[in-house]
Amino acid sequence: MEKSVIVKDVAKRYKLYSKQSEKMLDLILPKSFGEEFFALRGVSFEALKGDVIGFIGVNGSGKSTLSNIIAGIVPPTFGGVEVKGQSALIAVQSGLNNNLSGRENIELKCLMLGFTKEQVKTLEPEIIDFADLGKFIDQPVKSYSSGMKSRLGFAISVTIDPDVLIIDEALSVGDKAFAAKCLDKMNEFKKQGKTIFFVSHSVGQMKEFCEKALWLEFGKVKEFGKIEDVMPKYEAFLKEYKAMSKKEQKAFRQKGADLQSAYDPTKN
Amino acid sequence: MKFFLTVLLPNASDGMVPMKALITVIKEQIDHFYLIQRLAMYEIKSINNNNYLGLAWELLNPAIQLSIYWFVFGYAIRRDEPVEGVPFFHWLFAGMLVWFFVQPALLHGSKSIYTRIKMIAKMSFPTSAIPSFVMFSKLYPHFILLAIAIIIFQFTGSPISIYYLQLPYFLFATVVLVFTINLITSTLATIIRDVQMIVQAVLRMLIYVSPILWVSFSLPDFVQTIMRINPLYYLIEGYRAAFFNHNWYFIEHWDYTIYFWSLMFVLLWLGSILHVKFRNQLIDFL
Repeated sequence: MEKSVIVKDVAKRYKLYSKQSEKMLDLILPKSFGEEFFALRGVSFEALKGDVIGFIGVNGSGKSTLSNIIAGIVPPTFGGVEVKGQSALIAVQSGLNNNLSGRENIELKCLMLGFTKEQVKTLEPEIIDFADLGKFIDQPVKSYSSGMKSRLGFAISVTIDPDVLIIDEALSVGDKAFAAKCLDKMNEFKKQGKTIFFVSHSVGQMKEFCEKALWLEFGKVKEFGKIEDVMPKYEAFLKEYKAMSKKEQKAFRQKGADLQSAYDPTKN
Repeated sequence: MKFFLTVLLPNASDGMVPMKALITVIKEQIDHFYLIQRLAMYEIKSINNNNYLGLAWELLNPAIQLSIYWFVFGYAIRRDEPVEGVPFFHWLFAGMLVWFFVQPALLHGSKSIYTRIKMIAKMSFPTSAIPSFVMFSKLYPHFILLAIAIIIFQFTGSPISIYYLQLPYFLFATVVLVFTINLITSTLATIIRDVQMIVQAVLRMLIYVSPILWVSFSLPDFVQTIMRINPLYYLIEGYRAAFFNHNWYFIEHWDYTIYFWSLMFVLLWLGSILHVKFRNQLIDFL
């Protein structure tokens, strides 16, 4: 099978400043100010064409950072990502302009993605059909519910026919019927050999749809493999984590946070 | 000084030729010209969709400002005395015409990147197109206003002449000025948000130190020279020369023309280096 996404030693550093002046000094002076924090600590994996990979992990483990980096929205601090073809990210906040109508947003987004006027004309009815917003398509997006917004965002992203699709929690706001429609569409993509990344807290949706799972813990890959192998371990971990006392949970998180601030990308 | 040093002294490793950034930025504007125009149109729509009068505000606002400035600076202070034979209202209108474009374009231009980058980061067009489509969204109303001004001047004693031919030149120079400043301020404002505040403060001051509302000819020569450092002076006087003064301003003041374009070149050069250097990291500064 052909590789479609190669992620190699990706680390993402954020700086935590306790006050604005620190940020300023860090920018101007050669000395480093503020505390370093690594949202990702050397993540490496490869995805093949037709793979459907679920990102799992507790809050703050780096799932969204990783999806943003694969989508090309955020640059990695260290390491590199190679994506064959075009990628599209679908998130709950899908970057729609609130003052424009749904239809205008479709045109605007397609234009910004580099489609020509003629291409936009053929895509528009398809998107409107998929989003199924009825009369609301000509209303400003600010009057939409969060479900409607994500439907529109989803419709645009799937209709532009990307090679790599990253879905970040976007299905959790839609209703059952729309989720089913989306799953259908994604199964179709799967058959066409597109690579799909799926971020969700719903273990059920994950099991139903994904073939592989990437388990992130404190910005590092804990486990990567077939979903049947990884998921039971993850569920066992969740159970164990929930059973911990408040104090133990805190100590566990603290240990992770320490690892994330002490990470040195040159040593690994 | 780390910040400025890293900007101005490109490290040898990335092999950045000093001119390369400038060429990149200009090429991006040309390659994405159609898209920039379309985005500007959506920008105009998006701003005015909320108001009942919609696009009419693009003209109502200037009309209100123009009449109050005429009342205070023309009627109340000058008793409507003409400026070198030009009716004060005409003189004021020509100056405000430039200001009505430059002021909102600079103000919105400086916030253009950090308010939009989240949405635009993944799109297949360069970040340098963001300040420029915001500028073009202010240029279209300027065209309409310009047309109205020409019609008013035509029928109230300052008819169209051969000197109108220099209007496109000064229009182009204004676009270059706004683009250059926006490129710098929008990049800096994303990194340091305070820059936005500085832009606001400077704009508030700029209308009074530019020859828009009051006549500066009676001031001592050295004060006038200092005022000419402001490149807006060149543009406003250029517009006025085209409308009423019947001279070829950019040739007659050739030394001022050289100053203006040298300044533009240096600023655009620095702005391009700054922008190209930081554009991949801008999203991390949000």
